[in-house]
Amino acid sequence: MSANTVAITAEQYNYDIVKKFAIMAMVWGLLGMSAGLYIASELAWPFMNFDIAEITFGRLRPVHTSLVIFGFGGSALFATSYYVVQRTCQTVLWGGKWLPEFTFWGWQLSIGIGVILYMMGYTEAREYAEFVWPVDLGILVTWVAYAMVFFMTIRNRSQPHIYVALWFYSAFILATAILHIFNNLAVPVAWNSLDSYSLFSGVQDAMTQWWYGHNAVGFFLTAAFLGMMYYFLPKQAERPIYSYRLSIVHFWALTFLYMWVGGHHLLWTALPDWVGSLASAFSILLLLPSWGGMINGIMTLSGAWEKLRSDPIMLFMITAMAFYGMSTFEGPMMSLKSVNALSHYTDWTIGHVHSGALGWVAMITIGSFYHMVPRLWGTKLYSTKLVFTHFWIATIGIVLYIVSMWVAGIGQGLMLRAFDQYGNLAYTFVETVTFMHIPYVVRALGGAMFLSGMLLMAYNLYMTVWGTRREVLPVADQSAIAVSRT
Amino acid sequence: MSQSPENKKGQVETTGHVWDGDLREYNNPLPRWWLWGFYGTIIFAVVYWILYPAWPYADTYTKGVSTVSFQSPVLDKAGKPVKGPDGNVEMETKTEHWNSRALFYQEMQSSPSALAQKEWLAKVKGMSFEQIAANPDTLNFANSAGHALFGDHCAACHGTGGQGVLAMNAEASYPNLTDNAWIHGGDYAKIVQDMTNGIQGNMPAFGALFQGEKLTDLAQYVLSLSHQPGVNDEAANRGKASFATCAGCHGANGTGNQMIGAPNLTDKIWDFVDVSGAPNIDAKLKLVEGVIDHGLQHKMPKFSDRLTPEQIRLLAVYVRQLGGT
Repeated sequence: MSANTVAITAEQYNYDIVKKFAIMAMVWGLLGMSAGLYIASELAWPFMNFDIAEITFGRLRPVHTSLVIFGFGGSALFATSYYVVQRTCQTVLWGGKWLPEFTFWGWQLSIGIGVILYMMGYTEAREYAEFVWPVDLGILVTWVAYAMVFFMTIRNRSQPHIYVALWFYSAFILATAILHIFNNLAVPVAWNSLDSYSLFSGVQDAMTQWWYGHNAVGFFLTAAFLGMMYYFLPKQAERPIYSYRLSIVHFWALTFLYMWVGGHHLLWTALPDWVGSLASAFSILLLLPSWGGMINGIMTLSGAWEKLRSDPIMLFMITAMAFYGMSTFEGPMMSLKSVNALSHYTDWTIGHVHSGALGWVAMITIGSFYHMVPRLWGTKLYSTKLVFTHFWIATIGIVLYIVSMWVAGIGQGLMLRAFDQYGNLAYTFVETVTFMHIPYVVRALGGAMFLSGMLLMAYNLYMTVWGTRREVLPVADQSAIAVSRT
Repeated sequence: MSQSPENKKGQVETTGHVWDGDLREYNNPLPRWWLWGFYGTIIFAVVYWILYPAWPYADTYTKGVSTVSFQSPVLDKAGKPVKGPDGNVEMETKTEHWNSRALFYQEMQSSPSALAQKEWLAKVKGMSFEQIAANPDTLNFANSAGHALFGDHCAACHGTGGQGVLAMNAEASYPNLTDNAWIHGGDYAKIVQDMTNGIQGNMPAFGALFQGEKLTDLAQYVLSLSHQPGVNDEAANRGKASFATCAGCHGANGTGNQMIGAPNLTDKIWDFVDVSGAPNIDAKLKLVEGVIDHGLQHKMPKFSDRLTPEQIRLLAVYVRQLGGT
């Protein structure tokens, strides 16, 4: 705990576990986004179901969401949090070799088994928590081990202060544990059955599910990735964080306010009105605290804007902050009852989620990986040009995705509520489906572009790690270079 | 935020903490627009909570000051609606704190579209089907209402335009409503009756009676009724005798019987098996033999639970003119 402790050097950090998680993040990312592209195509061209139950939209959709959120996002968070906690605490990961290793296998096996079961038709049918109960237990044990490794490493730090990135990672780990446990409380049908009944029923069950669902967005997809941002963005920009004060205020405001807003997913349903308006107002309150992170990210680069011309990694990070700002503005607006009456049950929601998921979560992860991977393996990035290409393909892909979903969602919302001069509904449901065909095609195109970018990234990182190393850097020199680069 | 930290170098200090070699933090004050924006959202939230139901306390919740008014039946002490001298339920204006149920009542009673629909429904109330169909205004109204109702209640089976489904499997086929062949009868009263009560279509399986050559001969005869090309006249003649079994429902000439929903076999319209689309006579024979062998069970649910009599009337006008006369 003492600041006098001799700082340890890079080669003493446990990088092995970080590398493993980083590789799996890329693997799950490619698989999960491919699944996403496939189901997007199924919506545009339904024949692609081919009447095979395992690959129908209903089965593949949770495969897509679980792989990108927990497989890609989760593994990326494990990797970066293990990397950041070691480097900002200047201490090696707690738990020796085997406990972090256990979190790796626990996480990967849970996800792998879980999504195969989805395709076989086994699901708890809780959005973003579809894993069957034995998998839930596997995740629980893994998560407890993760929390122990992470918090004990902080405890062992040789730095007097805990860096802001670690606050966010800590909030994420704590909140995710609570969310996972309470939303998955269920009674198995039998000890040897994969089926179970939720402990809650009716509207309480729905409320529990969306308390979980929204906080998964809040703590898994927002707070945790803000932690990632708070380390990698100033590192890449080589500039101090804009405001320590802002980071404190927006951290506490964000963590306090997020827990209240789940009800806005159930407006205009059997959920009592007071629960809805409570959540709606809290959602508006959440706007500025969310933007605190954006300000801190973007203003950190202020004064070094010229980096955007030469450094595509910085482009990824700053664009991620812009999309983060946009979707955290859109979210509170959509949680107002009058807007929600139009947007809910339409693809506007899907567009909103992806402006956050692709624009913010994936882009900050991509930027961080381009920064971290060469440092992990002690090499230089294979091609900066490819990173530029990746950036533009990904950005155009996201824009196509979001805009097509605005068109599809707002269009369908307006059609469903349109009346003709006789006071009859002007459109039937299936006419709105016909209308959405073109936006669906454009969305699939946007998704294909984003996936192409990921393939470029995979190639670039592969060449960075295994392609150039043998030629440029003799293995024996690696650790020396790793140290000199830190 | 008008000044970037770069401009303020020397004024804004970092906190003095350093992590991982070079990670530092400036201690800039909260951007003023951010702070005022945050205060603004707090004011918004407080106003929102004053207006609408929001905070739980004890076993209830704050109701908010916003209200919604709607028409509600007058109830007597036993909680039953009171009827006025004209026999109609007496209504009174009721005002409740803002809630989505009251808002729904209000919208169903007084939104422009609800009022327009009410006005048109009143117009067609006493009119006969023929009168509705004869007047372009009321016909347009019936078509508009019918289109919406058809899309929600009928299109899943009969297709969005009423074109039906002709599947490989007779059980997965649904009749085409746009031709003028009505299996169960196409006058208004019959359509209303079928939509109200549903339809049980049942052709027994005749596999026990006809097999092998006998079955093929009968199928040849059935196809000869609609003059399908490639029919073997000799075989058809042999099958004619067997058709006596079918004549009970389909009629001696095979022209069908709408009373019991036996389709006309002499037109070239096939609603359950795609004879017209079959590439050659062998394929056609196979389809018809399949129906004779296994029979046909068809069921249309009754809609009296889902639609009001007035909705069914309008839908009948719409469906009737899909099929022409």
